[in-house]
Amino acid sequence: MIRIAAVGDVHVDEDVVGRFRPALEELPDCADVLLLAGDLTRHGTESEARCVAQEFGNLGVPVITVLGNHDHQCDQVPQVVKVLGDAGITVLEGTGMVLECAGGRLGVAGVKGFGGGFAGRCASDFGEPEMKAFVRTTNESSEALGKALRGLECDLLVALTHYSPVPDTLAGEPLEIYPFLGCYQLGQAIDSAPTALALHGHAHHGTERGTTPGGVRVRNVAHPVIKQAYSIFHLGDHLVG
Amino acid sequence: MNEEHGGAPPDEYVEAEIHRLLAEDPDVAEQGITVLRRERGLVLYGEVESPHRREEILRRVAERFPDVPITSDIGVIRAQAPTQVEELP
Repeated sequence: MIRIAAVGDVHVDEDVVGRFRPALEELPDCADVLLLAGDLTRHGTESEARCVAQEFGNLGVPVITVLGNHDHQCDQVPQVVKVLGDAGITVLEGTGMVLECAGGRLGVAGVKGFGGGFAGRCASDFGEPEMKAFVRTTNESSEALGKALRGLECDLLVALTHYSPVPDTLAGEPLEIYPFLGCYQLGQAIDSAPTALALHGHAHHGTERGTTPGGVRVRNVAHPVIKQAYSIFHLGDHLVG
Repeated sequence: MNEEHGGAPPDEYVEAEIHRLLAEDPDVAEQGITVLRRERGLVLYGEVESPHRREEILRRVAERFPDVPITSDIGVIRAQAPTQVEELP
């Protein structure tokens, strides 16, 4: 069995440092890894990233993250990634990694993802350059996730995104903004590999549970949705350990 | 004219402007706050990560729209360790 802790949208700045830490200190006893589903900061500044590093670094379990839209706001992504990396937090963007856990090899592939909408109600790669650029960002991001997922050799495969791969976990959000909250292409990428679980954030008013058209379980772990420091999932009963 | 509140009830444009203010003002940067228009003013609800952020939202909205009565129902998200695990066989 592999134990995964996950949360997204923690939006850390100086005023939040210390709020999560007591719960995080318990992680080595109850999880093999902590996955963060983006929006670690409020504006994506280097100083906010240092607060994230202070709160989520040195936990005694590996920490893997993707970035969210908030983490891009101040155009300091390289600095944010470096600060997180220096604190031992791995940032995935169209990439993946395999962790050797007591219960088996856990593969995690991650990408921020993007909006675009869901089947029959989505944006198309057509028309103005701005519209085409928007949809091409969606497509490229999803293709990168699919490639990363299919490239991992592991016993249990998890997809980590900020934007949602399915509409199910957006229930509670206004229908009109679904195209800004996720896209079906991420779901298609997840279904292109033997993914066991897909985790995302971004939709603060959404709901926890959904599935992709291919039957992969999806969980919205945005902090306002789960209302606790992190959720824990036990997977891989078939694995030894 | 709504004499009780000293101004007209907030319209859709006020709602839109507040919604954008909450996301785009660097002192706020919140996309998870819902703005509800009611006859007697606006209700803001949602959840934020600290009491300071809740206060800042109210301060910025009141500063921009001093004549609009605002009711706040914004909570601070709990950050305790989970008491249950989800088993995914």
